[in-house]
Amino acid sequence: MEFIRDYGLILIFFILPVIFVIQPLFLPRIEEEDHILDRGALKRKKLILYRQIKELEMEFDIGNINEDDFHASRTELKQEVSSVIAQLNSK
Amino acid sequence: MTPIAGGAALSLAFGFSVLTVVSLILYTRSGDQRLFWVGQRLSLAISFFVFMATFILTYQLMISNFDIDYVARYTSLETPTMYKISALWAGQSGSLLFWLFILSIFATITVIQNQNKHHGLMPWVIITLAVTQMFFLVLTNFVTNPFMPTDADFVVANGNGLNPLLQNVTMAIHPPTLYLGYVGFSVPFAFAFSALMNKDTSSLWIQSIRRWTLVAWLFLSMGIILGGWWAYQELGWGGYWAWDPVENASFMPWLTATAFVHSIIIQEKKDMLRVWNMVLIILTFTLCIFGTFLTRSGVMSSVHSFTASSLGPIFLSFVFVIMIVSFGLMYLRKDDLRSPRKMESFTSRESGFLFNNMVFVVMCFAVFWGTLFPVFSEAVRGTKITVGPPFFNQINIPIGLILLALTGIGPLLAWRKTSKESLIRNFTFPIMGGLIGAAIFLFLGYKGYVVISFSLCVFVTATILTEFARGVKARTNKFNESIVLALGRMVSKNRSRYGGYIVHLGIVLMFVGFTGHAFDKEKEFSLMVGESDHVAGYEFELTNMSEAERANHYAWISELRVTDHLGQFVTHLKPEKRVYFHKNPDVNRRQPHSELDIYSTMNKDIYSIFSAVDNENGIAFIKIMVNPLVRWVWIGGYILVFGTMIAMWPRKDS
Repeated sequence: MEFIRDYGLILIFFILPVIFVIQPLFLPRIEEEDHILDRGALKRKKLILYRQIKELEMEFDIGNINEDDFHASRTELKQEVSSVIAQLNSK
Repeated sequence: MTPIAGGAALSLAFGFSVLTVVSLILYTRSGDQRLFWVGQRLSLAISFFVFMATFILTYQLMISNFDIDYVARYTSLETPTMYKISALWAGQSGSLLFWLFILSIFATITVIQNQNKHHGLMPWVIITLAVTQMFFLVLTNFVTNPFMPTDADFVVANGNGLNPLLQNVTMAIHPPTLYLGYVGFSVPFAFAFSALMNKDTSSLWIQSIRRWTLVAWLFLSMGIILGGWWAYQELGWGGYWAWDPVENASFMPWLTATAFVHSIIIQEKKDMLRVWNMVLIILTFTLCIFGTFLTRSGVMSSVHSFTASSLGPIFLSFVFVIMIVSFGLMYLRKDDLRSPRKMESFTSRESGFLFNNMVFVVMCFAVFWGTLFPVFSEAVRGTKITVGPPFFNQINIPIGLILLALTGIGPLLAWRKTSKESLIRNFTFPIMGGLIGAAIFLFLGYKGYVVISFSLCVFVTATILTEFARGVKARTNKFNESIVLALGRMVSKNRSRYGGYIVHLGIVLMFVGFTGHAFDKEKEFSLMVGESDHVAGYEFELTNMSEAERANHYAWISELRVTDHLGQFVTHLKPEKRVYFHKNPDVNRRQPHSELDIYSTMNKDIYSIFSAVDNENGIAFIKIMVNPLVRWVWIGGYILVFGTMIAMWPRKDS
């Protein structure tokens, strides 16, 4: 009885994780769809670019960047956002 | 029975770590999504078994199961419960298990947090974390197993007990905090390694690890500060930093990590310094492992203990493997890592950041060289030449002051290039502040590094104030907000920037405290009750001496009445001389310990140590130290923590 109590616990703690781990192997084979993955990355990229535009505006307001650089960088970032949005819309 | 379960859990965790690596490598080759899920789950299972093993050992420590060698070595029946728990990281095998425990927490968070993110990166992130776990599982399974039975064929009635120096609340918190920092860098390293494997040079992964890096940096900083606090409160030599190898072991990764925290901003914003950032994160992680090696291998006591230790060579091999594989991979990816953009001007924020990075790395190298010089000298010449605090101070004080100056200069530089007009406009107020400060300090009779340090503190504070003022002014002009509202919104919308400035303010205050060290005064004397002596304008009168027997020690308590040069009462100090394990029949097992008493003000600390007692003649041997400005080090530490928390606080849009 004591043996079952002691070693039974170990078996439970071993068998349950094993079932948890191997369960996906009983699913049908799935190839990951690239466009789903890309979409997540593009959304994050869009968010980062929006942030960068805001930060650039802040830098300009403070005076940490001159007007020419500000306009050039802002245009560059906006073009990048547009391209990301276009890619998102095409997926 | 339960200890067997602990050992079994560790063995299973090791087996699962091997399977994790295998399944994920198969996934990277076949693209079968099921293998990725299996790999993810295997990674969670490793953590599950490590958690089990850690909880089992903690429970055994709490119930004082002296059948386990580790429990018998580091606890006794009298050890308070809190210190029985903290004994988990008091010894070698326990602390390695604890490292693994924290790594498993982080690995679990990383896997769960990125279930639907970074699909390309995650397989190699998990593999890297699993290999690190595997390394610590090899150590805890095969080299220094915390569940080993007691080495005796008789019943152990009571354990050795925990070292009295470790029976301190700070010491119960300090190692976990430091470990959270050390281990925390595993995650940014795993992402960096994975980015190298995947040839991912985008700044997306940099964004993802930014918060992890800040969390690890915060804990490492807190761990170092708490270590200094513990040394100051407990060790009785009156200081908080001694350039001890173990202290240096935590300081080196902190230096490279601080450089990394700065330089990833450049990669995020300008897509520059890709190679440099890789170098920094690889160095930081390697130094974290190396730090654990320095602390745990015994290499610093002698090169011979290193060769005799079974732990040292394994650790060192792992360090070399990390460096060779990572830098080798970097070499293979050198074309992908080449940044498309170049530095445009010397007077740009980018170059300011890069220069600050260089100085951090130079300082790290100086500390590394000084720390390992005894080992190198013994290996090469057979004579161990120890490098003490004078070497470290001589090298690092000027470097530290350069860094302090750069803390002030960097934020005033514009991105790409700073025009002459901007330079004049931005630097006028801070430089004037620094110069006026220098004139005042010289007038007050200070000289040398003290004047430089205090003036730089004024300069950097002026820079920070300027930055806040410029930001607030910009918002009030643009949005017509009140100053308070503009300040609140400005910080809230730019947390990383203004949190960083608050951290800089904390560093400035810490430098104020460090500089106070130049004015330390100390004196040792012996007193009988009713006698007095003087130190730094204070009089110390021994008013009483008593004895007390407590649960785990015997104490002699001296009572000192402190008055100032005008005879005004200042405070009572009660330093104690204690003997721990005083009931142990073996006299050699009893441990003497001096419990300090400190009177702390913003201006100075009066630090009293009861060094020894002459019972027969009723004489107390007292050491007094008057340490100016120490409290500013701790205040600076609080502000640093506060600033980092602001910087890493999640944004609404994330």
